Amino acid sequence: MLNAGKAVKVSIYLSDGATHHGVPVYSSLLDFLFYRGVAGATVFKGVAGFGADHHMHSASTVEISDKLPIKIEFIDTREKVDALLGKLEELAGTGLIETQEVTVAKPAQSTKPMSHKPPEHLKIEGKAQMMRIYVSEEDRWKDKPLHEALVAAMRANDIAGVTVYRGIQGYGAHRHEHKDKALHTGHHGSIMLSAIDTAEKLRGIVPLLEQMVAEGLVVFSDVDVVKYAYRPLDTDAAEPKAE
Amino acid sequence: MKEEFAGRMLRVHFGEDDKWQGKPLHEAILAKCRELEIAEAVVFRGIEGYGSASRVRHASLWRLSKDAPIQVTIIDTEEQIAKLTPLLDAMVEEGVVASSVVEVVRLRKG
Repeated sequence: MLNAGKAVKVSIYLSDGATHHGVPVYSSLLDFLFYRGVAGATVFKGVAGFGADHHMHSASTVEISDKLPIKIEFIDTREKVDALLGKLEELAGTGLIETQEVTVAKPAQSTKPMSHKPPEHLKIEGKAQMMRIYVSEEDRWKDKPLHEALVAAMRANDIAGVTVYRGIQGYGAHRHEHKDKALHTGHHGSIMLSAIDTAEKLRGIVPLLEQMVAEGLVVFSDVDVVKYAYRPLDTDAAEPKAE
Repeated sequence: MKEEFAGRMLRVHFGEDDKWQGKPLHEAILAKCRELEIAEAVVFRGIEGYGSASRVRHASLWRLSKDAPIQVTIIDTEEQIAKLTPLLDAMVEEGVVASSVVEVVRLRKG
């Protein structure tokens, strides 16, 4: 948090067209500053200017010129700025970076006080297993699509979580190729369900899977879990596994 | 019928625009897997991503770009995967191949 008093203002001058790994440099710089917790940053778009190459860039010639000057400004403490400068120089590429000692007369106040500190933020780390089940989208269990039935079955067995993915192409146990030709309308895709929990719990539902999955592949692998969770609000919500 | 074995899983990451001999790379990889009778191969399209192969497109004009990240998951025994790996090395020009040891349960009718 930035307080009143001595601070450093950093200005970075760029060309609008500059890109870094395919994204505009100003946008990767802004993301960098945001995720590194800088107190605030602003991107300004210039209407005309020239830089090291002494080419005059202005908006009047071509309305959507992508060579216009861009300036990014942010203010933070000396320590913070020093910690960020190395990476900033790398990100700014050919751009110019200027720092300036400033005095913060009045720090900005967040309109959402302390919204960054959620209560009871739990971090659970440990060894677990990931189970992936490969089936076909046409597979059914009783009167339901198999993948829906599997999600319901896993939920009923207190499996911590499961996600269903639709593949765009694939083949497997059925030995006929699935290809999702018309997006969103195809119902002949490959389906993958991914669930993470302890080895015992996942192994525990294999007999159930044997009944439900006529043809398919079930794959287990060891994973390290780092889970961030909020404490459940209602008491009947499942407790996260802490093993 | 249930069959259990120790296996290996490959996850190959690249971009949807990548080609192999004029064919989309993921289709070519799938065809190779089929040829080698690999047990399971599935192609997934990511909705966003970046990395060595899937380039994040830089402007809204490119939103409709088809160069989405692609992940191909391939599962079989060590021996079968070993047959495929040199082929992947030749086919994937730019991408990541992640390999992990897995336990496989194969369920079949009958």
